[in-house]
Amino acid sequence: MTQSRPQITVGVLALQGAFSEHLQLLQQAAAALAANRVAGPAWRFTEVRTPAELDRCDALIIPGGESTTMSLVASRSGMLEPLRDFVKAHRKPTWGTCAGLILLAESANKTKKGGQELIGGLDVRVERNHFGRQVESFTAELDLPFLAATEAVETKTDKRPFRSVFIRAPVVEKILPHTAGMQVVEAAKDGTIVAPSRMPTDEVARREFDKEVEIMARLPGRAKAWSKFSDATAREIGEEGDIIAVRQGNVFGTSFHPELTGDERIHVWWLEQVLAAISRREELLQ
Amino acid sequence: MATILPPTDGLANGLAKLGLSNGDASHNDSKPETKSDVTSETQSQIRSDAQPENKFEVKAGLARMLKGGVIMDVVNAEQARIAEDAGAVAVMALERVPADIRAQGGVARMSDPRMIKEIMETVTIPVMAKARIGHFVECQILEALGVDYIDESEVLTPADATHHVEKHPFSVPFVCGCRNLGEALRRISEGAAMIRTKGEAGTGDVIEAVRHMRTVNAEISRAAGMSPEELRVLAKEIGAPYELLKKTAELRRLPVVNFAAGGVATPADAALMMQLGCDGVFVGSGIFKSGDAAKRAKAIVQAVTHFRDPKVLAEVSMDLGEAMVGINCGTMDEKERLAKRGW
Repeated sequence: MTQSRPQITVGVLALQGAFSEHLQLLQQAAAALAANRVAGPAWRFTEVRTPAELDRCDALIIPGGESTTMSLVASRSGMLEPLRDFVKAHRKPTWGTCAGLILLAESANKTKKGGQELIGGLDVRVERNHFGRQVESFTAELDLPFLAATEAVETKTDKRPFRSVFIRAPVVEKILPHTAGMQVVEAAKDGTIVAPSRMPTDEVARREFDKEVEIMARLPGRAKAWSKFSDATAREIGEEGDIIAVRQGNVFGTSFHPELTGDERIHVWWLEQVLAAISRREELLQ
Repeated sequence: MATILPPTDGLANGLAKLGLSNGDASHNDSKPETKSDVTSETQSQIRSDAQPENKFEVKAGLARMLKGGVIMDVVNAEQARIAEDAGAVAVMALERVPADIRAQGGVARMSDPRMIKEIMETVTIPVMAKARIGHFVECQILEALGVDYIDESEVLTPADATHHVEKHPFSVPFVCGCRNLGEALRRISEGAAMIRTKGEAGTGDVIEAVRHMRTVNAEISRAAGMSPEELRVLAKEIGAPYELLKKTAELRRLPVVNFAAGGVATPADAALMMQLGCDGVFVGSGIFKSGDAAKRAKAIVQAVTHFRDPKVLAEVSMDLGEAMVGINCGTMDEKERLAKRGW
């Protein structure tokens, strides 16, 4: 007796930016997962440019690119509200990298004059172009402890640091208190924009929505630089490093570009998170 | 033709090593180290840019972030704002758009740094600027200004009849034009992290951009079917480094991001170039030499995202007002052609 395998569709927002890189790594990650599972789902990966294409997705990646362009094109293509519904009202698993992290933030600063539209979903304030212009872009070898939580054996046991590419990258400047509505305090700040609020549509979405923001990774660079001059530890000088990866329920954001390195470990981890979120939903609905 | 650019693992490595061995040494003589603050020194403990392949990855990475987008020529801060609000992924800051360079003649040089700086202060998207072919000091100045990309461009009057700039040693990435595969691979081996067609800038006539893209595609198809021995011969014929040609044949596309440029004037032109396999589009004179610049700019941005959807293309092409007047490349005098500059 064979049960038909469930099909899970993961979309990559393809309005602009490095979407094809994510699709290639998703394929690699699915292959890595399949090698470890007896009966995994049938994955389907697809580019998303229209509301109809988004409708067919169980989970979504918002890639790197120019966040201002993506939000303008999204708004002119009738995608902004469907995206807000997807991430915030239905609370489906979503991951944003770089520009994607900016769009998923509830609050952002250093945006273009006149601001830009945000989708929201993560209770954080993001600072755009935190490190400066392109000549300040860099790669870094990061320890990402959360990767050890994967079931996929190769990812779990692979202790290599994760080479991460930061390109005119944003960072999470502040973790915000979780509020049901708009981030009002943030909205009152100069030069800061916020996402409009959306209420979760059902109990499943509400449970994901009510989770706190977790810091998944930091960049220890600046703290290390300081500690060269004094013996003080990073913690003592009040800096533990810039926050470069966060998760809130099933919404995940990274300020760097795992899609540029050919290393699929974070994609493996995230696909497992998607599976977990889908089974949480199914359990609640039973 | 497959047009998927794989993630950079290994790719950047190979690209960066080519041409680096002599590049670094010669450059150290000509270029003073500008950045020596302590932070960057200590950060190298965790930051791995010190290795050339990672440096190239960061340069080529920004080009990947621009894919599916439109880069617009602007001559002042006001135009830069219009471009940003229209959804440009980057702007090219220059004193005169190519159409005016053609009309006014004379020597076209790097723009006034003051004007470039004003544009950099006005918009939050990446700012590119042009340097003359072979003019590495203009490049040093643009790098010191902090521009995000340098276009070593045939639109300006060349400064060196023989040599292009050695681009690997710079921290700032470069984009260069090409008419064919050999030219593209020579530029990549010099360190260009992004390629564009030369087209024929300032004409509003897309025929040359199409010719250059078609030529590159045809040459790659041919190379893809060749044995290593045949590739050696082809490398010699087209004047391209063998390793880069081999990589290109394997990938069945250029190993860096490739944009269309030179003569794109309408949303349909932009979508045409995308369907031919370009990763994105530069629009020069086409926007600010037209009737309603803001509207046309937005339309071209939409066209590049939805380049395979004729319904969207029809919709955005409506009521755009007057396109730039243009020059027919077919009736153009040979010596007026900008694409012939560089080799």
